[in-house]
Amino acid sequence: MRFRPTVLAAALVFAVPALAKPVIGQPAPDFQVTDASGKTQSLSAYKGKTVVLEWNNPECPFVRKHYGANNMQSQQTEAAGEGVVWLTVNSAAAGKQGHMDGAAATAYIAKNSGKETAYLLDADGKLGHAYDAKTTPHMFVIDKTGVLRYMGGIDSIASTDVADIPKATQYVRQALTELAAGKPVSVSTSEPYGCSVKYGS
Amino acid sequence: MLETAKRVFAIACAAAALPVAYAESDGTEHVGVELISEHASLAPGQSMQLGLLLRHEPHWHTYWINPGDSGLPTTLAWTLPPGLKAQDIAWPLPTRFDAGGLYNFGYDGETLLPITLAVPADAKAGTSAHLAAEAKWLVCREECIPGKASLSLDLPISADPPKPDTRWTKQFARARLALPQATAWKTDLRVDGDRIAIALRGPSLPDAKDLDAFVEGRKIVDNKPPTIRRDGDALIVDFGKSDYFGTPPATLDLVITQPSAATVHGWRVQVPFAATSAAP
Repeated sequence: MRFRPTVLAAALVFAVPALAKPVIGQPAPDFQVTDASGKTQSLSAYKGKTVVLEWNNPECPFVRKHYGANNMQSQQTEAAGEGVVWLTVNSAAAGKQGHMDGAAATAYIAKNSGKETAYLLDADGKLGHAYDAKTTPHMFVIDKTGVLRYMGGIDSIASTDVADIPKATQYVRQALTELAAGKPVSVSTSEPYGCSVKYGS
Repeated sequence: MLETAKRVFAIACAAAALPVAYAESDGTEHVGVELISEHASLAPGQSMQLGLLLRHEPHWHTYWINPGDSGLPTTLAWTLPPGLKAQDIAWPLPTRFDAGGLYNFGYDGETLLPITLAVPADAKAGTSAHLAAEAKWLVCREECIPGKASLSLDLPISADPPKPDTRWTKQFARARLALPQATAWKTDLRVDGDRIAIALRGPSLPDAKDLDAFVEGRKIVDNKPPTIRRDGDALIVDFGKSDYFGTPPATLDLVITQPSAATVHGWRVQVPFAATSAAP
């Protein structure tokens, strides 16, 4: 869609910054979202555990890059081994590319051998907007006390090329390793890259 | 009719690609890609114009050097005969695409990305130059498909004045108009909390109405449309600061467009960052 600076468009633009943005070092926004199995998931339920949020759209080539190369699943497996909770989030609205119901999400996890703790269905985009999630993937790491410690890309090279994965710094893995060692997170923010999150209008 | 045929072909490709887990297009899905030359020959010691011609299907777009909130810029990796040097793409004025409050910058319709090729003075007339480029792009509507193509062009090297290749005269003429014009405007940049405002002063400043503005570098300003207004003799372009702003750059490259103008029209100005950024 081509942007036309009309009065209506200007009004819409000013409505957007009113949404709160997550801040590194501040408590991460709590949420209540239904997962693929119909269970309600909330951040507060995981107090005492480190939590990773991963924005996902199965049709997005950037997501396929990291699932196709097993990068996302191997990080999910490592996280599970360390007692870290991994929540994959789908904020695609009904009718938009990559939108899934519980059954489709369960099949998607099985197909990819996903090792996330749960797959959250956020079709109304509430969770996505609370975190200002822009792309798939877009990653967040929250420490055991509920404080946001990382937000940004899964890694440091913006591309759809699988060959770039070994050359890139894996920011989420790095943040989790540093948190586990009681160290400050060295890269706490990066610009996320990927497809835009397919929010409803 | 050509459009219809192309669309049918693209749909056929998409259907054929379905069983493949990770479809990488070879240049036929949703955007036609061609390497072209303004002239039919290369002249020793001269700068020649090449171009990557992108023909997007309706509703599909590719990206500017700064793609915005998502996407990837189109890239070219050249393999050229010794002595020949291709400059970076001279990016045409971008269009803003609104994806539900997230913004992308790029091109739709037919767009030519121009590239200047420097031919050395000792290039041997009577021989032929094989110009090869690996093009990579991301083409998106709502969904995105990465594409790549190995493109090449063989051109004779001739001491005669180069003759225009008349097939592409119109495209190169349009591409020149679509480049931002350099300006001699004075600039004054101020960072105020989460805003970055740039005041422009000088001859032939456009009216503030119906303008849009973009910054070439990433992680400097956010991707929302800036507020643009006149303040006395100055044109003020007021951006939100990027959430990913790190070390301030030495300069930023500001591009201003008139998206609703009948013909594409725009300006470019380099803005020093450091000098006035510590505003009280």
